[in-house]
Amino acid sequence: MCFCILPVGGCASEATGVRGDAGMKALWSTAIMGFRMYFRDRSSVFWGMMFPILLMALIGVAFGRVESMTMTLGMVTGGTGPLAAGIRTSLGRVPAFRIVDERNLDDALRELRAGRRVLVVVLPEGGGPLDAYVDTSRPQESQTALLVLERFVAEANLRLTGTRPAVEVRAHNVSSRPTRFIDFLLPGILALTLAQNGLMGVSWTVTSYRERLVLKRVIATPLNPSFFLSGLLVRYAAVSLAQLAVISLVGVGIFGARLAGNPLLLAGLAVLGSLVFTSMGIAISTAARTPESANVMASVANFPMMFLAGTFWPRDLMPEAIRPVVAYLPLSPLVDAMRAVGARAEPLGPYLPGLAYLAAWGIAALVIATRRFRWE
Amino acid sequence: MTAAVSVANLVKRYGTVLAVDDVSFEVNAGEIFGILGPNGAGKTTTLEIIEGLRRPDAGRVMVDGVDAVAAPRQARARIGVQLQEAGFFERLTPDETLRLFSTYHSRALPSGPLLQRLGLDEKRNAHVQTLSGGQRQRLSIALALLNDPRIVFLDEPTTGLDPQARRLLWDVIEGIRVEGRTVILTTHYMEEAQRLCDRVAIMDHGRIVAQDTPRALIRAHAQQTTVVLNLEDGRLDEADLPGVQRVVAADGDMIMHTIDPQATLHGLLDLSRTGRIRYRSLRVEEPSLEDVFLHLTGRRLRE
Repeated sequence: MCFCILPVGGCASEATGVRGDAGMKALWSTAIMGFRMYFRDRSSVFWGMMFPILLMALIGVAFGRVESMTMTLGMVTGGTGPLAAGIRTSLGRVPAFRIVDERNLDDALRELRAGRRVLVVVLPEGGGPLDAYVDTSRPQESQTALLVLERFVAEANLRLTGTRPAVEVRAHNVSSRPTRFIDFLLPGILALTLAQNGLMGVSWTVTSYRERLVLKRVIATPLNPSFFLSGLLVRYAAVSLAQLAVISLVGVGIFGARLAGNPLLLAGLAVLGSLVFTSMGIAISTAARTPESANVMASVANFPMMFLAGTFWPRDLMPEAIRPVVAYLPLSPLVDAMRAVGARAEPLGPYLPGLAYLAAWGIAALVIATRRFRWE
Repeated sequence: MTAAVSVANLVKRYGTVLAVDDVSFEVNAGEIFGILGPNGAGKTTTLEIIEGLRRPDAGRVMVDGVDAVAAPRQARARIGVQLQEAGFFERLTPDETLRLFSTYHSRALPSGPLLQRLGLDEKRNAHVQTLSGGQRQRLSIALALLNDPRIVFLDEPTTGLDPQARRLLWDVIEGIRVEGRTVILTTHYMEEAQRLCDRVAIMDHGRIVAQDTPRALIRAHAQQTTVVLNLEDGRLDEADLPGVQRVVAADGDMIMHTIDPQATLHGLLDLSRTGRIRYRSLRVEEPSLEDVFLHLTGRRLRE
């Protein structure tokens, strides 16, 4: 039997039953009643909002420090000469360094190995070289710290010899406001929640409706089934919007994140994301026999995206080898667009190809969902 | 009388299993028609083909003048369907459930009076998940009546219910007929078929083995009346009484199967008058559809 999911056109083979305006009524009542059902399941509502919020809190605490880029520098003072004092004072002015005075080198190195210092500098007694210690087991941090130190020394030398540098670098900040990690994180969490709802929530719910023969009840009516399925899409979009509103409020109100962009644009992106991932959830449900197996299948799709689509940290930080692959995850363009709008208030233009790619996933999922939908 | 439903030479195969094997019958407008048979006889499959939920491999189905195989959705618009063991949206109330499903039909009865009629009035705003088995079954029937259909299909409406809930449902089903609707139901309770149905088709292994009014079926296939006697004194065997073909003793009762109940009873009374036997109780049981099924298939309908 063929069932069409889109109300437009409907199943042309049959010219009766509920369609047209009556079908739209069916669509809305399916969505509204579904919305009610969702909010009556208190624990689902609670955890559906708590999970992303907890995730945001945990990730924010775990990785939030990276953003500030202050490196703790342990300083061991070998002597009290004017040069040492000069270096001490000047280093203290480097914004990237937070300076801790150490009692002796051994203590300082212990702190370095324990990861509480990025760099240990020993100030020379007289002229002599500046000894710097790093822990190469943390290559990124220690290299950055060394670079900053070397540059500082080079500048200091120039200044001491009174030479003007031949070439200078003038750095210009293009960000209107420094993006902090939480600003970066919140849109990622919002996008992730959309994927989570669609893949995990919808596939579970639809499969359990089928297993409990609720869908059979629906198909036993003369309704054109596309209206019912469209009603599900609307229902989940509405649920996701409500959920995202709460998460955003918590993110902004409690975690101090900033949503810079137009909230309506963000909501529009959320609706698009919800439609795509709900379609994917329904597509998954057509392949699953039980809600449990739907859950496993959805997890397989959801978990790699959760970590690789750039939700928690930029995709640029990922190993070169997988970067081209993760860019093609359907969640990636949604994360990028929501972050551009949410965190940086950028115009959407450059992100439209990515969103088109996302929509293509949605259409493919919808085709599978429609073709293979089973009512019992 | 016009046929509300007519089914001709229906065949449905699942792999190598013939679930429905050349089934034909007609249901008259305004009657309660029962399909009686054990689990797995093919009752539900037959019903779901008529409802347009399954495609037959062969055969013709007309529902209220509509070809249910060619235009299943059009057929569904004319019927009310109560599905066996179908679930509900557990977090909606009965009232919301009816209002939701009413948008799935092109016409619908108002929810309030319907709930009242099915005795769900006080539960109208409780979540469906709090309803008892009998209440859920009545809600299911309310859904079947929602579009004010001329023909109502009830698939095992009383399975799993306690006797009291079952009697309540029987009243509901009889009420549906009184309103002039045609009812087609499946059951594996012979008592239910006997009590409710104007006509019964007995189904076994995908085939209809007999169909007629319960009375005619019994007359044709179960001639033996059962006489149960609790003896205080004396004993009996087949030779003592006219018409008796078999005597079985069980729990102090003598169970006699007779093809001539009148002669058997006369004989019994004679024996009792002459003092050869004394009995505490005497009970005459009409043959039932159970006996018909036993006679036709050699097996019992099992609950």
